Amino acid sequence: MKKFFYSQKIAPYVFVLPFVLTVLLFWIAPISNGVLLSFQDVLKDQWVGTKNYTRLLSDKIFLKAILNSLKYMIGTLVLLIPFPMLFASLLNSKLMVKANFFKSVYFLPALTSVVVVGTIFRLMFGEASASFANQVMEALGQSPIKWLKGVGTSYIILLLIACWRWTGVNILYFLAGLQSIPTELYEAASIDGASKWQQFKNISMPLVKPTTVYVLTISIYAGLSMFLESYMIFKGNNSPNNIGLTIVGYLYRQGIEKRAMGYACAVGIVLLLSVMIVNLVQLKLTGTFDKEEK
Amino acid sequence: MNSVKKKNKSATVAMVVLFTCLAILIIMPIYVLFIASFKPGGDLLQYGLNLELNLDRWSLDNYRLLFFGKHDYWTWFMNSIGLTVITVIATLLVSAFVGYGFAAYEFKGRNFLFVIVLIILSIPLEVVMLPLYKQMSVWHMMDSYGAIVLPFMAHASTIFFFRQYLLGIPKSLLEAGRIDGATEYGIFFRLIMPIMKPAFAAMAILNGMNAWNNYLWPLLVVRSADKYTLTIGLNTLINPYGDNYSLLIVGSFFSIIPIFVLFICFQKYFIEGMTAGAVKG
Amino acid sequence: MKKKVLATLLSVAMAATLLVGCGSSSDTASESGEAATESAGPGAAGTTEMEVEGDDVTTLNVWTFIELHQQFYTDMAEKWNAENPDKKVKLVLSNMAYDDMHNKLSLSLESGEGAPDIVDIELGKFPAFMTGEIGLRDLTDVIDPYRENIVQSRLDIYGKDGKEYGLPTHVGATVAFYNTEALEAAGVDYTTIKTWDDFKAAGVKYYEATGKTFACVETTAQWMINLMLAQKGGDYLDADGNLAVNNDTMVEVLQYIKEMQDTGAFATVPGGQPDNEEAYPNYNSGDYAVQIMPFWQTSRFTNYMTDLKGKVAIAAPPVFDTTDGEYQSIGGGGTGTAIIASSPNADLAAEVMAYIKLSETANEEVWNVLGFDPVNTAVWSDTALTENADNQFVQYFVNPPFEALNEIKDNIGTLNFYTDEKAPSINNEFCNVTLNNIFENGMDVKEALDESQATLENEFQ
Repeated sequence: MKKFFYSQKIAPYVFVLPFVLTVLLFWIAPISNGVLLSFQDVLKDQWVGTKNYTRLLSDKIFLKAILNSLKYMIGTLVLLIPFPMLFASLLNSKLMVKANFFKSVYFLPALTSVVVVGTIFRLMFGEASASFANQVMEALGQSPIKWLKGVGTSYIILLLIACWRWTGVNILYFLAGLQSIPTELYEAASIDGASKWQQFKNISMPLVKPTTVYVLTISIYAGLSMFLESYMIFKGNNSPNNIGLTIVGYLYRQGIEKRAMGYACAVGIVLLLSVMIVNLVQLKLTGTFDKEEK
Repeated sequence: MNSVKKKNKSATVAMVVLFTCLAILIIMPIYVLFIASFKPGGDLLQYGLNLELNLDRWSLDNYRLLFFGKHDYWTWFMNSIGLTVITVIATLLVSAFVGYGFAAYEFKGRNFLFVIVLIILSIPLEVVMLPLYKQMSVWHMMDSYGAIVLPFMAHASTIFFFRQYLLGIPKSLLEAGRIDGATEYGIFFRLIMPIMKPAFAAMAILNGMNAWNNYLWPLLVVRSADKYTLTIGLNTLINPYGDNYSLLIVGSFFSIIPIFVLFICFQKYFIEGMTAGAVKG
Repeated sequence: MKKKVLATLLSVAMAATLLVGCGSSSDTASESGEAATESAGPGAAGTTEMEVEGDDVTTLNVWTFIELHQQFYTDMAEKWNAENPDKKVKLVLSNMAYDDMHNKLSLSLESGEGAPDIVDIELGKFPAFMTGEIGLRDLTDVIDPYRENIVQSRLDIYGKDGKEYGLPTHVGATVAFYNTEALEAAGVDYTTIKTWDDFKAAGVKYYEATGKTFACVETTAQWMINLMLAQKGGDYLDADGNLAVNNDTMVEVLQYIKEMQDTGAFATVPGGQPDNEEAYPNYNSGDYAVQIMPFWQTSRFTNYMTDLKGKVAIAAPPVFDTTDGEYQSIGGGGTGTAIIASSPNADLAAEVMAYIKLSETANEEVWNVLGFDPVNTAVWSDTALTENADNQFVQYFVNPPFEALNEIKDNIGTLNFYTDEKAPSINNEFCNVTLNNIFENGMDVKEALDESQATLENEFQ
């Protein structure tokens, strides 16, 4: 027995056993359970067929939650990929001084908890005319704004939080990608008379593609599952006119607040599917699969 | 030649200006929180956070409250430290163990299992949150830190990182260990773990950061007030029925400090840990 | 290197201060000077544990979402221990955020694990715990000894099928709080305000004289709305208990409030209603003059609006018509203290809490300590208590606080929807969507109500 356990054939399975157990107990079991629950009314303890799903289709609040999450995800993609990429290549330039210092400073926000960050931003964008944001408005000659009551303004705040927290991290990702590009390529291009911009466009951008794909994948994941940021700036899961409601927020509302566990699980399954679909489409479009096959 | 140098110099200046502005924007919210920690909590309700200095209203009252007042802040603080340490140690040990298995051996089903690692990397925890919650309460694991730590010990992205790291280790080292009579597990514990120090450091920091800031799952699991973590505790202060903003602000500011200190001491590893997945993935 | 980074960080911070701080500091400095709310912050959040001597002491866990209640419960529990040395209890109280506490409660009732022994449940959330299998202990037996003195309607709102599950704290009669100093300066005499039309006219006069807001229109609560609705004999449901938030009376009430808003004298307030941490400073500074709130708002005045001491009068709220005998007030808000049925100490907990909340001493203390209008209305006319010169609430308000209460005492209404299981969802919809649509986004009243009706119907299908 002991010999069996120590054999080179069995050892690898022992090594990966914790992972296999984790997957079975904490991923596969809950997901299958979630699928089963999504066909039930848990409070009444009865099977309801596809009722939860048909209800989802006609649920305007859920639609709103999906649109909010998508809108947020797209906003973060637009802001958190091109700019960090650009900043990273500038920081990577030989002409830049003290790049390490800036790198560290930009990383600081990632260390703070969303609970703290959300509170800071909520109070900075308070309704009072003396709040930070309204002081800025005043300096610009504008009147105070109810930041957290408008669709547009609250969207801006959520994006600001995302940019604040993740710009530095994404810069680091892209820097790591850029540093793996051989410098000879740039030297050669520069001898050929390519401008800095052309070098960025024709060398940096294509060659950091694996990094871009990685950042894209985690941004989609994070964007679609955003919850806590909204929860913190609206001081709870309720926002005026549901402007801050996200898919996970709706899952939380139905499952925890309204105890409609079955319905909430249906929301969870939809979230799972949408993350997977968006990511598959993304990986297909960026051609990541083709490369793997080679 | 001279003009090129000049041009380069002005480019440098322009970039430094740009990045300094960006740095100021990034620092701003933390700075605003910092100065707010010296203001009376009531001001926050009335004016929100702002850049107002107004030095004659500054006081150390909030800090006095934090250090000498009657509240549960330090219980939360110690809970968070304890939970973070347990999480980091458990996650690192288990994930390294698994990561080594993936990196060092060829075995049937390896690729299949590794694809599962990659899939789990891209599934939001929130998808399984509710059923997992139900399951935990069936297993009577509610209100225990076990429910917070156990499901994530074999942590997909940490496994992935260790596996990538260990791929670079020469197989001859393992063979040498076997010839010396070490068991498969002995090789891992005696030969491999010591050389994984930098990888451990990077992952300790990353997992530590996540554990320290974790909110939603602990909120669902933890019931008793004496088990609250810092993030949960701070959030209880945001309550329309209590006048707790003094503690909230100074406590929020103080909660950033431990992780800042760690960051400043181990910057290199932080950055390594964050970027590990991006390049090799 | 490390030191260098720190030093640079600090200098960047300092530079930022210099750049931005100076420019904007002058204008708000004066404001914060005059409206200084010196709250050193008690910071007693979290857990409070009683100290009880003796061996045979039962520990009871209590969840609250209002910190003020903790002190009250411990004081009363000490009295209980003194009177019942054979049944001593030790309360361990945890205070949590409103939403979190109710969520945690429903989760732990569902899983049968982790629930406390005693819990404060807010009126608006109570019906959510009255569905399916009820996890709370029927309290009818422990209420009986105290029943004769208690306003029955406040027991009914925490009941179902003839059983009572919650111990009320107060009546919560809705009254009007007037900032007399501000009103007098504008030549408005609050004692002449009898009807809503008077109220509106006074508002316009005040607004024209001062340019400041008279009272708020609510977007995150329905204190004034529910009062008006009850006065007009309306409700959120139809006679059969079906969902009907877009009924004519509701439209009429909201339309009336909307017209108030259109005068400019009434406006939304930060936080959306007077009982909100963001709203208090606006009343405290005199930017808003009047509140239509349940009586328990007294405690918010003494705690959070300290600058108004000696300036606020309490009066009976306006009515639509003084001659038609409509309700003069309505019970608003409330906390029903419930006992978890599965608790091993449920019986003792029930007995103790009934004493803590319903005994005569309790009712006196509810007024003395918390400043609420107790459910034992005998206390209301005991002038030794209600006009006690040492009482902080008597000292705070211009007129005797119970004057208005005794005036409306026999004419306090209620709404059927309070006890309906649809109430939590309806409240949620109103406080997040409906009222916001009408008073923030200017949507037509009927249209906004129709939309909410449709949303809610989809939820209850």
